[in-house]
Amino acid sequence: MSNQLRFLVVDDFSTMRRIIRNLLKEIGFTEADEAEDGVAALQKLRSSTFDFVVSDINMPNMTGFELLSEIKKDEKLKHLPVLMVTAEARKEDIVLAAQQGAAGYIVKPFTKATLEDKLTLILKKTGLQS
Amino acid sequence: MSAVLLQLNPLDASNPDIHLKIGALTRQLHDSLQQLGLTEKLQGTAQELPDVKSRLSYISRLTGEAAEKVLNRVDQAKTEHEKISAQTRRVATLLANDPVDTLANGHLNLYLDDMAKSSQLVDQHLTDIMMAQDFHDLTGQVIKRVVSLASTIEEQLVELLIQTAPAGATTKPSIQSVTPNEPSLSGPVIDKDHAVGSVTEQSEVDALLASLGF
Repeated sequence: MSNQLRFLVVDDFSTMRRIIRNLLKEIGFTEADEAEDGVAALQKLRSSTFDFVVSDINMPNMTGFELLSEIKKDEKLKHLPVLMVTAEARKEDIVLAAQQGAAGYIVKPFTKATLEDKLTLILKKTGLQS
Repeated sequence: MSAVLLQLNPLDASNPDIHLKIGALTRQLHDSLQQLGLTEKLQGTAQELPDVKSRLSYISRLTGEAAEKVLNRVDQAKTEHEKISAQTRRVATLLANDPVDTLANGHLNLYLDDMAKSSQLVDQHLTDIMMAQDFHDLTGQVIKRVVSLASTIEEQLVELLIQTAPAGATTKPSIQSVTPNEPSLSGPVIDKDHAVGSVTEQSEVDALLASLGF
């Protein structure tokens, strides 16, 4: 899998941001930026162009759920696929994320294969990749 | 001297007043807790303590597993690296001695194939080492919760101290809210055997979403 899609990785832990960015690079996506919470993510999304968001849920200032909701309310951003990558494992959180429009949900700890599978599936569904 | 010590010892059980004093103190503490509404709070906090124990065990387990995984992968990568070094030295010697024979007998092709495989293996070990660092995120979330509980206990004890301070106390401790925002999210599953209402692996997430038509 390789193309020039631009990713925004949102997580309050810098270690996890690095892990996800490195995995994206290994999978073939070299274009990625990062944000440490929902507020910073929204600023970046509104001031630059992205094709895909990978977001944590439990973050200070603005959670992943709030970020997802803001993205889906925004006419210019609502088309963006948002993949939740989180340690939140409650069934109600998973259902809530899906109802709010998340494109996928990965529970931590996860593997490179899981991330790659979900990305492939979402990119095919959204038509970003054939 | 011992008589003086005995006189000063507040726990001298032979003194009948001690029982009365302890009784009065207990009553005062009970009333103070009730007035402050702390009884329920303290009860709630006390109930969370076993949870703190399991959270700390989870941190210990996860960090231990991560360290083990990293050391194992480093060992495997080093073994692979030694193999690459030895093969390279061997082929270099063969090429120096008889380059034509080395090429004709396929030594060079074999070496290149081995290098490709070894390099793939080393890359896999490096990825595993990177993935093992996810413990930082997972344990960090759990540590935040434990710190939050410790702050709650501290705040409740300060409140109690203020309430029970002697009337003539000149300096009363000030209340400083040290409780960070209580996370409303549940965080990682720390005990898979008792994970009611939570999933423990990705396949369960996929099954749940599929069952709901997502």
